[in-house]
Amino acid sequence: MKRVCMTALLWFLLLFFIHPANADTFGCLACHSTMKGKVKAEKALVDVHVDSERYAQSVHGGMDCTECHQKFGSNPHQPQDDGDISGDVAALAKNISGKAEVDPVAMAACLGCHDDVYGLWQQSIHGMNIIEKGQADGAACTDCHGSPHYITPATEPSSLVNRNNVVKSCGECHEKESIAEKYNLGTHILERYYESFHGKKYVLGHQNVPTCVDCHRSHDIKKWDDPESPVLWDNRTVTCGKCHEGATKKFVTSVTHKPIGKDNPVPYYFEKGLIVLLLGTFLFIVSHVVLETFSEIRDRFFRKRKEE
Amino acid sequence: MNKEIPEEYLRFNIIERIQHIILFTTFLLLAFTGWAVKYPEIEQSQWWIRVWGGPETAGMIHRVAGITMLLDFIWHVIYMIYRIATGKISFHKYKTLIPLPKDLTDLVKNLLYFMGASREKPLFGRFSYLHKFDYWAVFWGMAIIGLSGLFLTFPVQASHLFPAWSLNWIWELIFIMHSDEALLAIVFILFFHFYNEHLRWEHFPMNMVWLTGRLTMEKMKHEHPLEYELEFGDKKEVDK
Repeated sequence: MKRVCMTALLWFLLLFFIHPANADTFGCLACHSTMKGKVKAEKALVDVHVDSERYAQSVHGGMDCTECHQKFGSNPHQPQDDGDISGDVAALAKNISGKAEVDPVAMAACLGCHDDVYGLWQQSIHGMNIIEKGQADGAACTDCHGSPHYITPATEPSSLVNRNNVVKSCGECHEKESIAEKYNLGTHILERYYESFHGKKYVLGHQNVPTCVDCHRSHDIKKWDDPESPVLWDNRTVTCGKCHEGATKKFVTSVTHKPIGKDNPVPYYFEKGLIVLLLGTFLFIVSHVVLETFSEIRDRFFRKRKEE
Repeated sequence: MNKEIPEEYLRFNIIERIQHIILFTTFLLLAFTGWAVKYPEIEQSQWWIRVWGGPETAGMIHRVAGITMLLDFIWHVIYMIYRIATGKISFHKYKTLIPLPKDLTDLVKNLLYFMGASREKPLFGRFSYLHKFDYWAVFWGMAIIGLSGLFLTFPVQASHLFPAWSLNWIWELIFIMHSDEALLAIVFILFFHFYNEHLRWEHFPMNMVWLTGRLTMEKMKHEHPLEYELEFGDKKEVDK
């Protein structure tokens, strides 16, 4: 009797947990949600852990593992022939193999559903850097969106591309001096953004100021001098005009992200001059007030008799 | 008795007092709502801006207060021009707001007195060098911060005014102007004006003249002896 009850309970539990995901996914997660640690692959260490709860809550929560991990069929961990992988994905996987540290097929599998966005990305500076130049440090889907297992809608505060997080996410690469030097991007781009009125308001939580992607776009980001780039001088009147109605060519020069330094001498020395004025005035008023206070105390307590 | 000398002296008329009240209300609002934008990376700034209704609301308060202050400023300038044109403002050396060499010697005399090197305090007219410094600092500050603030509020329209050769640096310049001058103004008011009109022994907790506009003759004699002499000097002699 005991055994029957136990078996029934186990079956019940099994069926209960199967409900949100299907049998295939459940089978993978049975091991991978409890596994901890990393295994060595060709190029990198692979984290074998998948948080099943977070996966279930993500936008991809209802999907089969094998929809992306196409190399794995019903028999786990036995790579299948390329035949089962769709032609488009296989071709793309070959193109981005330089970027993929573990499994280019799984990386390319986003194409299956997101072919429109993937198409834009392939023409973008980030995509071309990977596909045409074979650079491993170009940004692909997961660099901005995080692990596909845990992607949440951009409107969620937890999303890496939520407007409150997106500047930081861009900064993951664009704050690195090595990246700035390698691609000749100029340093201190984010620092200058944070110093600007756009950036200051953004940090304070203003919901209408532009973040990186509002001016530079996201999936279809271009090099600034590309004719299609929204920040090319000729296109800026439209880009800035989204918020600043009637933006002129003269107006759009106001945002540069250039550091204030000796190569931009007017504001540099103007600020130095103002600091001298500031400190000079502070020194004067502070010493005047302090001296006066002491003399006042002296007059009140030590010269009192004389005044009367 | 001193029949000809009134008990009180009208130092600031009602118009001047209203101008001052508008000035300091808008100044405080501007300082409070602008402060967080100067140092947004500090955690408290984000809390502080929420006190003012969040960045959007605080920004609107800042703009409205700024424009009100500028209107107050323009009103004051027109009022002063009118007063000068109708001969109501005296340019006598003991009455004027214009800085004179005497102010510099007064400052030196005062500093010497503070340090105990001299036993003689300088005698002031209607406006001492402190008052003149206070007035012109605010005047200059309103012009600089107000103008740059207008440019920042209406950047597209402002960009038409700038010559092409200035475009590489003009916005940085305007931004520095607005932000650094504002810091100067806030520290100046907080420290100097508050000391002179609130903490100073004879005024503590505050000099009421901003509200009443009137000085007692006792105070008048003590604080503005030269103006007193000018206004009532001969009458006093008659009484004696």
